[in-house]
Amino acid sequence: MTTGYLERGALAGVVGGLAYGLFVALVANPFVAGLETFESGHGHAGEPAVSSLTTSLVSIGGGVLWGLLFGIVAFGIAYYFLEPVLPGDPVTRRLVLAGAGFLTVSGAPWLVLPPQPPGVEQSLASGARTAWYGGMMVAGAGVSVLAGVVYRRLAARRPAVRTAASLAPLCLLALPVVLTPANAVHGGVPAGLVVAFRWTVVFGQVVLWATLAGVHAWLADSTVQSAEAADFAVLND
Amino acid sequence: MPGDTDTVRRRIDRARTTLTPAQMAVGLGLIAALGFTLLFVQDPLVHDGLHNIRHGAGVTCH
Repeated sequence: MTTGYLERGALAGVVGGLAYGLFVALVANPFVAGLETFESGHGHAGEPAVSSLTTSLVSIGGGVLWGLLFGIVAFGIAYYFLEPVLPGDPVTRRLVLAGAGFLTVSGAPWLVLPPQPPGVEQSLASGARTAWYGGMMVAGAGVSVLAGVVYRRLAARRPAVRTAASLAPLCLLALPVVLTPANAVHGGVPAGLVVAFRWTVVFGQVVLWATLAGVHAWLADSTVQSAEAADFAVLND
Repeated sequence: MPGDTDTVRRRIDRARTTLTPAQMAVGLGLIAALGFTLLFVQDPLVHDGLHNIRHGAGVTCH
């Protein structure tokens, strides 16, 4: 039963990962390679340790694993435990979880440390940035849980009020954004290209989470799911 | 409680009874290994190999 959830999460992760690997192959790899032509002094000392072909191939593989990891953790494990408290119909439940996953892994950290193209030097030390990134992941997860708690507490209110109040905790993320130490960036990439790169990155992650949610919802339509639902019903009698 | 057919607590109990500690340890270990490799390994071969995906996924690096 539990392993059925794990398998569906992993399967959604494989499909999402392959889609994301395709995105890396067709969009991220050439985009990053193109942006590297603006590089003057790269953060890494000297030449890269591997050829650009190796970087392209390993990055595609990394993209597939990136999707697989989220599929297993968010939809294989977290969904199993949180299914009883996630709101709405089956598809909404997946989308809510995917939104929380995106906020935790990417959205909240990006408020402090937005995606940077290669060759951009940042004044904040990389250790401090890693700590802030990790801290914002925790904050994103915390705000997601808080939103869920508020939603459940306001069960008697009108849907619009309930939804708006549930989204209010997202404003708490402004607090760490204000508190972050200044991180001056400088690099040779034109500002317009930096914006295009950032939105490409955002688009890639949103599509990944949407794919995971969609595939997972589609998999749940199988007969396995109803057998499991019956399993729980019997257990609860 | 009537109507309270399925709760998070029940799911946790269910996982406890259906999974062995070894299975949980292997699962968590695999996830940790995957996450660690993608995000934190600083070995030049791995780090530079994953350069594009890190930028593409918006993970801070250098």
